[in-house]
Amino acid sequence: MNIRPPPRRVAVALAVAALALIGSTSHAEDKVIRVGVLMPISGPASYFGVQGKQGIELALEQVNAGAGPAGYKLQVQYEDSACSPLQATNTVKRVLEQFKPHIIIGEECSDASLAIAPILEQAKVPLLNAGSSAVKLTESGYKYVFRIFPTADQQGTLLGRNAYEKLGARTAVLLYEKTNAGVDNADTFEKVFTAAGGKVLARIDFGRDVNDFTPIATRIAGLGKVDVLPTFGLEGQTVRLAQALAQARVVRGGGGTAIQMGSIWLPWGFEQKAGPSSEGYIRVVQFDPTERRKMVTDFNAAFRAKFGAAETPTHINAHAYDSVLLVAEAVRRGATDSESLRDRFSKMQGVEVTTGRISFDAKGQTSDLSVIHFVETQKDLSWKGMAW
Amino acid sequence: MNDLATLLVQQSINGVYLGCLYVMVALGLTLIYGVMNQINFAHADFVTVGAFTAFFVATRFATKVLGLGDAAAYLVSIFVALGAGAVLGLLVNALVFAPLRERGDELRPLIATIGISVLLENGQLALFGPIPFQFDSPFAKETIRFGRIFFTGQSVLVVVVSMLAIGALYAFMKFTFTGKALRAVSQDRETAGLMGINPDFLIGLTIVIASAMAGMAGALIGPVLVLTPFAGATVIVKAFAIVIIGGFGNIEGTILAGILVGIIEAFTVQYLGSGLIDLVVFVLLLVMLVVRPTGLIAERREENV
Repeated sequence: MNIRPPPRRVAVALAVAALALIGSTSHAEDKVIRVGVLMPISGPASYFGVQGKQGIELALEQVNAGAGPAGYKLQVQYEDSACSPLQATNTVKRVLEQFKPHIIIGEECSDASLAIAPILEQAKVPLLNAGSSAVKLTESGYKYVFRIFPTADQQGTLLGRNAYEKLGARTAVLLYEKTNAGVDNADTFEKVFTAAGGKVLARIDFGRDVNDFTPIATRIAGLGKVDVLPTFGLEGQTVRLAQALAQARVVRGGGGTAIQMGSIWLPWGFEQKAGPSSEGYIRVVQFDPTERRKMVTDFNAAFRAKFGAAETPTHINAHAYDSVLLVAEAVRRGATDSESLRDRFSKMQGVEVTTGRISFDAKGQTSDLSVIHFVETQKDLSWKGMAW
Repeated sequence: MNDLATLLVQQSINGVYLGCLYVMVALGLTLIYGVMNQINFAHADFVTVGAFTAFFVATRFATKVLGLGDAAAYLVSIFVALGAGAVLGLLVNALVFAPLRERGDELRPLIATIGISVLLENGQLALFGPIPFQFDSPFAKETIRFGRIFFTGQSVLVVVVSMLAIGALYAFMKFTFTGKALRAVSQDRETAGLMGINPDFLIGLTIVIASAMAGMAGALIGPVLVLTPFAGATVIVKAFAIVIIGGFGNIEGTILAGILVGIIEAFTVQYLGSGLIDLVVFVLLLVMLVVRPTGLIAERREENV
């Protein structure tokens, strides 16, 4: 059987139609913003990744609903960077090569974030960081790094000043993990506290493999009168540390007089884990789920609808959620690629998110301290907001 | 008691408690090495399995199903964790070590322990997730005080259970026929076989005992650890150091080294800073390797295990 070739006019028409179709497909593909997410999904800090993913999933559902921001869809690829500089470095290189993201959200741990920042700077892909406090991240001259998390300087300055002025503390013992973030937080507190006239009796650092904190609590008990104990560590270790300090009758929760203070390292629910030992603990929180702001109540409701009525979002859920909202906001403002995302971020001022308002300074750091809230743990383990 | 004496006594108590925890973890390692001349890289994960078993038994099964009080539930969980460790050891030996032993290859079982470690870590990650579990022992809430000296009920329990476990292991090794046979296998497997001893059975038994001890160690150390699928890894490096300082395969040396490391750690925190713990312990390890490479109780090497 012979198949008659189509007339030339039909062939040309078909070719034009095919080209138009390819063009429209490629245009549809272009209306995607690829977001690489680097989180610790394995290892002792993996609770950051689990909670971060919840926040991102919720935000994606909302921003991608309907046509999406300015007709774009956000497409996310999660990667495990394990809170480790080495793994984060390998992972970000692979993601850049294979996924070709327009932007990267992550990492939570400062050491890992500091490791990937120069790689992304070289690749000219913006890094939106929501959970690292090491000062260097936004003080190294990077043009593609933006951070919505208060730095160790921002948190430590307020902690040190409030310890001296509001609590009347004159002596302190610094407790911190041996990481960039831990050291930065401790350094800032010491600088501000001693400049005001306070005295640091001891600096006690610890590795992430320390399990029993009784020897540390014993040492502190032998240092004489300690007014405040600024503590910078991951949740699991801080729970054990608070319990050991209570057993040694150092802190209020154990019948002592010292007040433990901390920065944004501990998620909502820390008090329930530490129990009565945490009574009197004063800390900075990045997100207060009891806040009555509409943005917060809406977020709480949506979070509970998706993850269960008994769930309360943590600051990790919140700042991951906020990161996606900010990317969507940049897209709404006309960003279509890495360069324009960087440009829109650099101009963002007073954008409301669940943790507060975000205003990026020239270094890419949010300068709006509305994201810092002070709370004190009560006897019944609830929070009392401090009007500081 | 003056301040210095109080500190010395308190940190010594802290050190002995910590040392007992390390000994419980390290004993299984040294036992397997003593009999099989093999390092078990999955030992940390056996400890984690024990900790998770104890956690779920103490906080779910024993309290909610059996209706036991918190203290009784925790005590039951220690025995269940011991049993879980033993069953895990039995399975691992039957499915992995025994077939590899038959091939007569010494390297493959070593690599297999790394594979088992990865398998157990990721299996637990899939089952329990990465968020730390809060495992509180009811005995840890009871603080016993003598003036300014304090320790918890958990410390007493750990020391007592460790002593009982060490005593039972020692008695088993010294006074039972099977224990003597096990020591014979550790000294010369082939000659022991010629005497009618079944080395394969005894090697299997060693793995089961070591795993059971790891399970029990997990139950005791669980309330101290930040309980995640990777929890055991935080103590295993120190346990390896203790086994080397004590002399690989030497039970007495391991016990002595464990207590010593615990006390050194407590006093390092007091006088040098907790950030230097690893430095001090590993300097000690290097010194031991150079000065006494056969361990603290070197002259008794021929009686190891």
